[in-house]
Amino acid sequence: MTHDRDASSLGRHSRSDQIFQILLACCAAAVLLTLGGLVLTMAFGGTRAFETFGPGFVWHNVWNPVSNTYGALAPLFGTLITTIIGVALALPLAFGTAFWLTTMAPPRIGEIVGTAVQLLAAVPSIIFGMWGLFVIKPIMARDIQPFLTHHLGHVPVVRQIVHGAPFGYGLMTGGIVLAVMITPFIAAVMRDVFMATPPMLRESAFGLGATRWEVMRQVTLPWSRAGVIGGIVLGMGRALGETMAVTFVIGDSNRIGWSLFAPANTVASLIALEFPESPAGSIKLASLLALGFILMLLSFASLAVARLLLRERTA
Amino acid sequence: MNAYSMTGSTMDATMTADAALSVRNLSFFYGQTEALKNITLDFPKGCVTAMIGPSGCGKSTLLRVFNRMYDLYPGQRATGEVMFDGVNLLESGVDLNQLRARIGMVFQKPTPFPMSIYDNIAFGVRLHERLSRRDMDHRVEEVLTRVALWSEVRDRLRSPASGLSGGQQQRLCIARSIATKPEVLLLDEPTSALDPISTARIEELLDELKDHFTIAIVTHNMQQAARCADQVAFFYLGELIEMDSADRLFTAPRLKQTQDYITGRFG
Repeated sequence: MTHDRDASSLGRHSRSDQIFQILLACCAAAVLLTLGGLVLTMAFGGTRAFETFGPGFVWHNVWNPVSNTYGALAPLFGTLITTIIGVALALPLAFGTAFWLTTMAPPRIGEIVGTAVQLLAAVPSIIFGMWGLFVIKPIMARDIQPFLTHHLGHVPVVRQIVHGAPFGYGLMTGGIVLAVMITPFIAAVMRDVFMATPPMLRESAFGLGATRWEVMRQVTLPWSRAGVIGGIVLGMGRALGETMAVTFVIGDSNRIGWSLFAPANTVASLIALEFPESPAGSIKLASLLALGFILMLLSFASLAVARLLLRERTA
Repeated sequence: MNAYSMTGSTMDATMTADAALSVRNLSFFYGQTEALKNITLDFPKGCVTAMIGPSGCGKSTLLRVFNRMYDLYPGQRATGEVMFDGVNLLESGVDLNQLRARIGMVFQKPTPFPMSIYDNIAFGVRLHERLSRRDMDHRVEEVLTRVALWSEVRDRLRSPASGLSGGQQQRLCIARSIATKPEVLLLDEPTSALDPISTARIEELLDELKDHFTIAIVTHNMQQAARCADQVAFFYLGELIEMDSADRLFTAPRLKQTQDYITGRFG
């Protein structure tokens, strides 16, 4: 009797185990299908844009719904510049935060700041967008831009960069909002890789009489270089695709110019702003989907680079 | 009550000798935990002092007091006095970077910096001295020769130090420590991660280095203490139990606790 019961319960167990396995495999397959579906939707939807405008779609500086000619250059330029500004501003901030958190912060205060960094990372981007619109934009329009125009407005070359009516919209404002958004991400990764530096290695450097900064610059940073770059690229990836935070403050203008204070567009903001006005089957919609495809490739590429770099050290 | 009063005559002998480090009534705390209890002992100049005892007895903690390494970590503090060159190095006004240049440290595992062999040596020197290119080359050669590594690495000074074997790396770390011309060298189980041959080479090296430096070495290996040390201090649960010359401590310990430890009855 007992023998029978054992056998049947064993059999039942392996059957339920099998069903469970199949269920899990379905979940994993769903993820793959979604990803594949996304890429294909963008690619197929955008095909008409590439067919109509050729590969030149990528580098043509025109976005004209009236004549129905579209090119990706202006929004790509906007995406690139806001990302560069964002990363450039976020980098020192994130580095300083991580450096302080890992080497100087008193434990309790460090914990509070560390949590604050994580909370900042969890703030929905629409909040950053509104904050950018109601706080940063007026400051840019009222203080920063007049100040820069006044002091740099007559310096050759630089004049071009600060040129423009003081609206407060533009690449610079977008970049600043992005910087605030991605700082916590970069700081969190940097903190982790700094903490992963073997304590004995750091102590060896301190043991020779090095200051905190010397240890950071000559030992911790070189040791965690790959991770640090990985973190930066991760932040960059977020900045590339960020939509809401930028859309509010970018100014919606598809032009390429020297001024960082003139209205512009990024790929994501252009799609967000124009999608509702693009009828199904129109060449405009195809162009937006093609833009989405390009943006997705950019994001994948940056993620791949980040993962490659982060793996190198943790492996 | 400490080991002092009990080890009378020999202690007096070492006390009167010129001490590089004089520890008086030193207690050390990790938060609320007392890791060292009222320690008093001297590290005579030009001698090798070995510290033995089971894990957690406070011997490594003592080393970390001497170069104020514990300052890196909040919640760790020391009370008492450690006199070094006429200064109590526990005082808050002490220039730690200067102190650590004068009291070097080598760790359990080799810790080459992520840079070239040459730069590993030059790193510490550059922190404290401005040397010409030629003087720096000379210093690098000098210390690498002293740790018997020069002939092995002279052709690859510019390649990463991580490419060296474990034993070579540890000798590099010793070279790096003596490159800043310290007076005291702290060695925290420097051979625990090395094979027997590398260990033997490091021990030989210690023998030569003690002519130039005062050495404090923490070790789990009693043969090593017997071979290398002039005097040996036995610690147990944060207390200095007994201190004597290596000969006497290992052949005729005064206390039963010491006897039990060195004969392997606990630890």
